[in-house]
Amino acid sequence: EGSAALTGCLGRRARPVRLCQGCHGHYRRLLALYGSIARAVGNSSESHNCAKSILTSDRLQIVVTLSEFFNETWEAANCANCLKNNSEGLSNSTEEFLDLFNKSLTCFEHNLQGETVYLSLNNYTEVCKNCNETYTKLNDLYNNLQRMNRKGGESGHSAHLCIDVEDAMNITRKLWSRTFNCSLPCSDTVPVIAVSSFILFLPIVFYLSSFLHSKQKKRILILPKRIQSNASLVNIQEKYS
Amino acid sequence: QLTPSSFLRIGQLSNVDLNEDIHELQTELPRQRPNEIPHNEKLLSLKYESLDYDNSENQLFLEEERRINHAAFRTVEIKRWVICAMIGILTGLVACFIDIVVENLAGLKYRVVKDNIDKFTAKGGLSFSLLLWATLNASVVMVGSVIVAFIEPVAAGSGIPQIKCYLNGVKIPHVVRLKTLVIKVCGVILSVVGGLAVGKEGPMIHSGAVIAAGISQGRSTSLKRDFKIFEYFRRDTEKRDFVSAGAAAGVSAAFGAPVGGVLFSLEEGASFWNQFLTWRIFFASMISTFTLNSVLSVYHGNAWDLSSPGLINFGRFDSEKMGYTIQEIPIFIFMGVVGGILGALFNALNYWLTMFRIRYIHRPCLQVVEAMLVAAVTATVGFVMIYCSRDCQPIQGSSVAYPLQLFCADGEYNSMATAFFNTPEKSVVNLFHDPPGSYNPMTLGMFTLMYFFLACWTYGLTVSAGVFIPSLLIGAAWGRLFGISLSYLTKGSIWADPGKYALMGAAAQLGGIVRMTLSLTVIMMEATGNVTYGFPIMLVLMTAKIVGDYFVEGLYDMHIQLQSVPFLHWEAPVTSHSLTAREVMSTPVTCLRRIERVGTVVDILSDTSSNHNGFPVVESNPDTTQVAGLRGLILRSQLIVLLKHKVFVERANLSLVQRRLKLKDFRDAYPRFPPIQSIHVSQDERECMIDLSEFMNPSPYTVPQEASLPRVFKLFRALGLRHLVVVDNRNEVVGMVTRKDLARYRLGKEGLEELSLAQT
Repeated sequence: EGSAALTGCLGRRARPVRLCQGCHGHYRRLLALYGSIARAVGNSSESHNCAKSILTSDRLQIVVTLSEFFNETWEAANCANCLKNNSEGLSNSTEEFLDLFNKSLTCFEHNLQGETVYLSLNNYTEVCKNCNETYTKLNDLYNNLQRMNRKGGESGHSAHLCIDVEDAMNITRKLWSRTFNCSLPCSDTVPVIAVSSFILFLPIVFYLSSFLHSKQKKRILILPKRIQSNASLVNIQEKYS
Repeated sequence: QLTPSSFLRIGQLSNVDLNEDIHELQTELPRQRPNEIPHNEKLLSLKYESLDYDNSENQLFLEEERRINHAAFRTVEIKRWVICAMIGILTGLVACFIDIVVENLAGLKYRVVKDNIDKFTAKGGLSFSLLLWATLNASVVMVGSVIVAFIEPVAAGSGIPQIKCYLNGVKIPHVVRLKTLVIKVCGVILSVVGGLAVGKEGPMIHSGAVIAAGISQGRSTSLKRDFKIFEYFRRDTEKRDFVSAGAAAGVSAAFGAPVGGVLFSLEEGASFWNQFLTWRIFFASMISTFTLNSVLSVYHGNAWDLSSPGLINFGRFDSEKMGYTIQEIPIFIFMGVVGGILGALFNALNYWLTMFRIRYIHRPCLQVVEAMLVAAVTATVGFVMIYCSRDCQPIQGSSVAYPLQLFCADGEYNSMATAFFNTPEKSVVNLFHDPPGSYNPMTLGMFTLMYFFLACWTYGLTVSAGVFIPSLLIGAAWGRLFGISLSYLTKGSIWADPGKYALMGAAAQLGGIVRMTLSLTVIMMEATGNVTYGFPIMLVLMTAKIVGDYFVEGLYDMHIQLQSVPFLHWEAPVTSHSLTAREVMSTPVTCLRRIERVGTVVDILSDTSSNHNGFPVVESNPDTTQVAGLRGLILRSQLIVLLKHKVFVERANLSLVQRRLKLKDFRDAYPRFPPIQSIHVSQDERECMIDLSEFMNPSPYTVPQEASLPRVFKLFRALGLRHLVVVDNRNEVVGMVTRKDLARYRLGKEGLEELSLAQT
């Protein structure tokens, strides 16, 4: 039943991904259950046989497979990253993040509501302007979390944050950049073109001036000291006449 | 007898074309006397001499050999092995040093520029970032170029042409000095950090050679310290063998390819090859790569991981994931053809550029300015491409160390930046191993084009830089493009993995540019760690070489010709059997008598019109009508030592000389013999006689005057001679053959052609 509950929880919280937040209790309970089955209490062969008879007595080994699946999924999701050390609840940074996330979403909704009439115009400038601050704070927090994770996790830990946080950030970013199109505009093209053409023009000037002004390096020929007697010229002549 | 006019006529002609009409040859009169011509590649410079590889077996040497007993010979052999081990260790350490410093400095530069770009992306004012990047590049390259141009010009370029010449037997001035090593190492670090389109592998070979030349002598002439060990090895014969070991150690440290290093030395240097030398060179290469591997593992924190055997690591090529089938062989051969054509194009463009540089940009300050400009333009091109590229990709894992977001959506990064804003080595590895779909074809195409011209422009500058990595990068880029288009054409067929085609493209491009086949195949096989790829790589390289050789020669050979070095190829040109020693030799020869007046010797040595280095010694008869047969050969360096120590017959008779001259005195003066101007001989001493019998080489190699050119060439080349005396049937000296006389003849486009000598 434990596994059924966990599966149901995972399925319900699949999109948008909330499984770390919602299912960690179920997971912990299931882990404890499995542990008590697999562990041999004391050295008695009785409990050993019990474990064997449940886990490994047939070809399919469903219990083991299921438990492995849950473990792997949990590791891949890296939920350990956003839970507290004793896995009792969400860590402080995660809570802070989720808080900001909710704020951003409400900000989006709020600014969009006023524009439902004008949706045909696809004008999202209001959203971009008003929610910019919240979004920037969210983004910075996410980058910080990533940096700390990378620093602390270079020796064997996964390079990813927990899947809830990542997915939340992904959704927000997609909304911000793709739907609302609030990314930074490509500004100051003109100065860039000016500076780059200036730099690209310099070598041409350099080569032209060195071609026109430098003295060309000349080589002085040395006459070789050799015999060129008539005999040898005759030699060459004989072969080709 | 020769008339002055015919003499002049022959000197003027720079093309002895045996297919020409003979009447033209005889009736052509010069309109003016072209003493000065602009530099071209059909010249030989007088400043390059041969190495004294052939041992002078005079009486002193024979005495020394008699004194050394069997046990001492074994000590000498053990010392050779110890020296090779030390060469390997030191080369590995130098390579580590270069790698670590480049990593740190380049990382610093990229961090600074990246922070600046990130800051200004939001605020606007990106032109300031561009200026910052260009200025950083230009200033770093300025330092790198200044040290090369003003302190040691021979350290410019990759160093492989110079080492090829040295192993061929040409004494390039200053090529194996300590100063050159220091400048080369600093120069290559600064070039790579300065963002030029260069690699750091080529200069490793030069560094390895210098280390070998230095260690094997047991002293440092520059630092004026003599450690009094390895005195037996202080001659050109031993030094050249150790330099082969050093070059192999350099290749092995650069690519993690010890066997490739041995084959490189074999391909470039072998005229005198024996099994023991091969063993020692292999030993040095292995030790070099092992040292590099262990030190870098310790530095990266996972000691004894031993995962970085070379400065460039191509990554693991898994046969399962990236196998190839026999249907792909024709595709690989086609890629070889493309590589050959592109390589020929690269070489041709570089040829015109180098010719321009030699003729017009020969002052050091101009060279420094040019290098700075190239660095600035490289930064600008990179920046403009990154700026204009709208291709954004999410990065997988941490494959990019300095991702630039620029105008992409959050979470995505500019993919042009991953190509341009990275060290070339990492870009190559990424191109080999990234999963399909990581690169946009348009981005890759633009990158290839820009980088091709940048690399072509950069090679030949007065900076220490190699050309291996840029060619690999260009080839990997178009190879990957080829693979992507192939999988597009076959609608995603499973065997068109772009990483494999990137590898083949890289091999094709490199083969098309440098035209090394055997050693390059083994190097790439070892660098990819997969022997199965050896067969297609060999096919690709051979195809590229054949196609490329049809148009232009290899890059290094081209530069050797442009520097007017008298390089001797493996064999004489094929149509030259009609030339005999009589036509090739230089005559008349300045000979010395066996017991010669000191004044004559000093005058001959001081003669500035002809800078001879070897003099045949003929019998000194009081009766001058009798013919004087050849008795031996003596070198200028030996004469200078004799004059310095004042070994005159009169002084010996008066017992003024306390001890006899030993071989050690000659070895101490090696390699920088004092010039004749610094030897002071008084008027009285000029009348003394000097006896050359003990010091001359009593058995010089000779050749009769009817010997054909190929025969003379083979003797000269195989034995590594410096002077070959031409005698007639009465053992009289008729002429002398030196390297310049033989290197003159070359097989050109229309037939046998003759190069002229010039003062450079």
